[in-house]
Amino acid sequence: MKRLLSLYPRWWRERYGREMGVLVDELPSRTGVALDLLLGAAIAYAFVIRGHRILSAAGAYLHGLCVAVLLQAIGFVLLILYSQRSPGGVNTDVGLGPFHFAAVLWPVDFFSPRSLAQALTRLLPLDWLPAIGLLVVLVATLVLVMTAPRLLRTSR
Amino acid sequence: MRKLSAAVSLVLLGVLAVAVAEASLVALIVLFSAVLKLNLTIELGLHYLHLSLPAAPYRPEVAVYNAGSIASVLFTAAGGAVAATWKFRRWRAPR
Repeated sequence: MKRLLSLYPRWWRERYGREMGVLVDELPSRTGVALDLLLGAAIAYAFVIRGHRILSAAGAYLHGLCVAVLLQAIGFVLLILYSQRSPGGVNTDVGLGPFHFAAVLWPVDFFSPRSLAQALTRLLPLDWLPAIGLLVVLVATLVLVMTAPRLLRTSR
Repeated sequence: MRKLSAAVSLVLLGVLAVAVAEASLVALIVLFSAVLKLNLTIELGLHYLHLSLPAAPYRPEVAVYNAGSIASVLFTAAGGAVAATWKFRRWRAPR
């Protein structure tokens, strides 16, 4: 458990390391304590990063990348849901002028006896559930990522 | 010279971060295609990355074209650059 203290920044260890080591020795070795120590290390590093202009901008850059990736993943799931707006699906093309970025193409198979059953199956809400589930998870992750810096700031 | 090497390092790290972010996005899209049972095609220059499900032939095919891949990289890099610029300009020393 005491090894987790080495994850803290050097200035923090020089200032609080000795008394924190004594405190950790007295605490029981539980998962909750380990998680508290890890969170404390993250907060200590966030404090260091916030105090340095370049590091702060670099952190914001990584944060911006995470948000952009999550937004694109949400866009992907929304595209799939949008293409399922009518039974049998609708071919959907995402483009801007002469540029075509992505497309959802639904198979047309009039001669198959299974095609009617397939079209009816697509009407059922069960077919939409995995996409809705993914969307909820992604939006929750986006909210967490957007609020994480503020949460770290206020939990100091 | 030190400033130049610092600037080059910064650019290289930025490009590396975008590459990792794009790889994560591709991994997410492949995972979602498996979960939603989609046939996925990603156009990469003259090559195609194609993932198809033999067990579900009536599922839709999602195609990401070259323009989509380029736009995705630009959007990701722009997201990071805007956030970094915003932070750099509005930075205040913590009290």
